[in-house]
Amino acid sequence: MTFAERMLRIDRRIIFLVIGLCTLFPLLFPVGLPIRISSEVRGVFDYIDNLPEGSVFLLSLDFDPASKPELYPQAIAILRHAFHKNVRVIAMTLWVSGTGLADSIVSQTAKEAGKENGKDYVFLGWSPGGSAVILNMGQDLYTAFPADYGGKATKGMPVLAGVQNLRDVTYAVSLGAGNPGVEAWYVFGKDKYKFELGGGCTGVMAPGLYPLLRSGQINGLIGGLRGAAEYETLIGQKGKAVAGMDAQSATHLAIIVLVAICNVFYFTMRRQQRRQERMGS
Amino acid sequence: MIALRRQLPLLITMVTGLVMAGQYYVPHPASEQLLTTVTKWLQIIGGFALVLGITSLFHVHAAKIRRKEAGWGYSLMLYAGMLGTIVVGLWNGGKESIDGAMTSFGWVYSYTLVPLQGTMFAILAFFIASAAYRSFRARSREAAVLLIAAVIVMMGRVPLGEYLLPISGDLSSWILNVLNASVRRAILIGVSLGAVALSFKIIFGVERSYLGGGKE
Repeated sequence: MTFAERMLRIDRRIIFLVIGLCTLFPLLFPVGLPIRISSEVRGVFDYIDNLPEGSVFLLSLDFDPASKPELYPQAIAILRHAFHKNVRVIAMTLWVSGTGLADSIVSQTAKEAGKENGKDYVFLGWSPGGSAVILNMGQDLYTAFPADYGGKATKGMPVLAGVQNLRDVTYAVSLGAGNPGVEAWYVFGKDKYKFELGGGCTGVMAPGLYPLLRSGQINGLIGGLRGAAEYETLIGQKGKAVAGMDAQSATHLAIIVLVAICNVFYFTMRRQQRRQERMGS
Repeated sequence: MIALRRQLPLLITMVTGLVMAGQYYVPHPASEQLLTTVTKWLQIIGGFALVLGITSLFHVHAAKIRRKEAGWGYSLMLYAGMLGTIVVGLWNGGKESIDGAMTSFGWVYSYTLVPLQGTMFAILAFFIASAAYRSFRARSREAAVLLIAAVIVMMGRVPLGEYLLPISGDLSSWILNVLNASVRRAILIGVSLGAVALSFKIIFGVERSYLGGGKE
């Protein structure tokens, strides 16, 4: 077996080690390279930033703990921004396994901002039906969620004053890790009930949502950890996403180097094989 | 019996399908009221679907344990985990926290489900790197184009990449906004047309696999 062949069949544990080290070292010794703000993330930021005080902002945390590393920092940054702008926040989730996580995110940021449950914000929790919940909220929010996550009746809550259905929502953002998520909020929500919609998603999902973004079906998109880091930079509160960007930089570069090395060995091996074939004939 | 098993579900599907498709274009209050009622039904059916799914899961794994099939120990773990979580969840009224204080159900959620799911997602990075090393080779012109595009996007999506190759940010943005968006849009149009065609087939009873393959 030639050297090139041996290198192409390298033990995958070596690759795991390289990736592990590339993740660990930047977390221990952060560099803090500047983060460029994309127009996609700025779209969401600008819209929330220009919301008048008291506007109704709906945040749907449509993810479970598997997507926590990417979507948790997005949710924290958006909620911090919304609370800072004194808009009324309605939070909810379409993913049953994400209810506890969503609750902790909302309560944590609300506490941090000194906001009162029921007056400044409400966490509606989860309701069965998937995408049908969006339609149901669009018809009547109180039949979809007669009570909030804590069991308090939603009807009569000061935070929901003047809100009957999704038509009364000024801006909605879905942070989705799959289905139901951003796409469902457009198809069953924005298209029929005419509110402005923004999106957030995991890095791997982002390319799939660009058609919605380019056609104006969503007005902005926060993609993965990078998007969260951009949002944290925009609100001037650097958190977990900015801290993780160095690690992501290093792992991306490590993968690029690994792919380059693999191709060098692949072409070396192919050249050797062709030479042997020529010599044989 | 055949009428109840076959004709009646087909009739319900056709009537409901046609009425709800038409409802979208009728903004009359009665039509809106119909949608409100139907969406409430959908939510209730969704709740039952969840119960059905869990029951089915229990049945599948119970059979595995009974027959001592390969990996039956995992099924036992699943039973223990599910039953334990259901008991703790019912005990706490399904709440992870009450007035800001974590419940035992919240503890199970925060200290088992969250780290387990997080770990599963995190190890993806390691497998992606390993798979990229083994299979991301410029074997053909098309593969080379894909490889170059991937490298540009990977560079352009991280600060270090933009620092080393400043143009990668703009190039990556162009690839995502122009090339990727147009191809995705074409796929979406194709999928949507397929969905419309399938919906018609279901509404008019051409596609009947959803009725199941039971005896008539």
